[in-house]
Amino acid sequence: MDVQNTGGADPSRRRAQGELEAQVLSALGRAPGPVTAGWVQEHIGGGIAYTTVMTILTRLQAKGAVARERVGRSFQWTPVADEAGLAAWRMRRVLDAESDRQAVLASFVTTLSPRDEQLLRELLAQAPEDGED
Amino acid sequence: MGVFVFLPLVLPLTAWPVARLAEQHLHPRTATWLLTGVAAVLAVCSTLCLALLMVVGTAQLPGNPLPDGWSDPEVREAVPYDEVAGKAAIPALLAVITSCWSAAWRHRRVRKASGRALRGLPTRSVAVLPDGMPYAYALPGGRRDRIVVSTGMLAALSSRERRALFAHERAHLAGQHHRFLLAVQLAARANPFLRPLRSAVTYTAERWADEDAARAVGSRRTVAVAIGRAALISRGSPLATLASLAAAGPVPRRVAALLGPAPHAHRWPSLFTAVGLATWGAAAGTTVSALSSANSAVTLFFILHAATPL
Repeated sequence: MDVQNTGGADPSRRRAQGELEAQVLSALGRAPGPVTAGWVQEHIGGGIAYTTVMTILTRLQAKGAVARERVGRSFQWTPVADEAGLAAWRMRRVLDAESDRQAVLASFVTTLSPRDEQLLRELLAQAPEDGED
Repeated sequence: MGVFVFLPLVLPLTAWPVARLAEQHLHPRTATWLLTGVAAVLAVCSTLCLALLMVVGTAQLPGNPLPDGWSDPEVREAVPYDEVAGKAAIPALLAVITSCWSAAWRHRRVRKASGRALRGLPTRSVAVLPDGMPYAYALPGGRRDRIVVSTGMLAALSSRERRALFAHERAHLAGQHHRFLLAVQLAARANPFLRPLRSAVTYTAERWADEDAARAVGSRRTVAVAIGRAALISRGSPLATLASLAAAGPVPRRVAALLGPAPHAHRWPSLFTAVGLATWGAAAGTTVSALSSANSAVTLFFILHAATPL
């Protein structure tokens, strides 16, 4: 997280950033093709500053959600992921952050030990089939 | 108060037999309620007694802010081994508070972060995220309960099994299972002797959702197969308090339970069975714990009241 740009870890501010990312992505999704940051700024409305739009676009690029190419003196932006893709990316970060930190996780991951797995396969093999669809 | 002040610290041991037997012999819903209730009462009593011991211990420390009369011999006589017990209670209580606070904070943080991750998506009750990694979670959010499931998970299941998956997660949300899980999580941190109850409730809450899902889709076998498939392709749940389909509790036991006969919903065990004895043992232990801590609190209140110069 680039703290300089967001002005600290104020939660309300962070939430606003999350919403802005979604707005910027949906604006890019409606764009006829690659567009400039100025175009995005016009189409998301709400009087968002140009520098803020640039910050959001740069962050989205770091997440692999948008791509940019240089055209003349400015960049043109295109969406790579849609909003669901971005949500998946953020969700994955939440899950990964937790699995790194928590020792409790180790037990969960090993819940299915090789023996458990064997047992489970046997149980499933015994379960009588009833009409799959 | 005498030795009574120490009893609630060890009485959680009386709940161990029922924590072991409940999962096989009681309906999962009954077991979850029973074990969570017992764990919550025992944890509160144990923490209260720790606090009483800490007051006596703190009063002995030089330069403490408590009234001078609180370190009088009459007060110290109320606690056996007051020198050691009083001083040991101070770090113990601090550890309990820190640990519970960090668990509650982490629970809140993960829920908020998950909610934030889904911002911008249509506000439907199911959020399908394009991710090859298989996962499915029930995210409680007050009015905005949501099920998060990855395309990787859906791809591995047949349509009947998907219905079982959604029914399972909906059962978690409808039954507010996250509250039970958080309660036992905090209880286990308040008194380490309550840890077996935490593992038991983590399992019975999953079983409860399994049984509800089986009723909703009308086939216990479908739910069993869905759990088995999901477990074989999944990795674990990142968080004990976020209920997940395949992660918590030994999966083979859940599958085996579903392939066996359905549990009886409304039957309390008779006193003359092992689980009956264990249940009543835990109930007795919980009652004694509550009485002991109440007795200790009242006694200490009057002793301190008498020792405080007015």
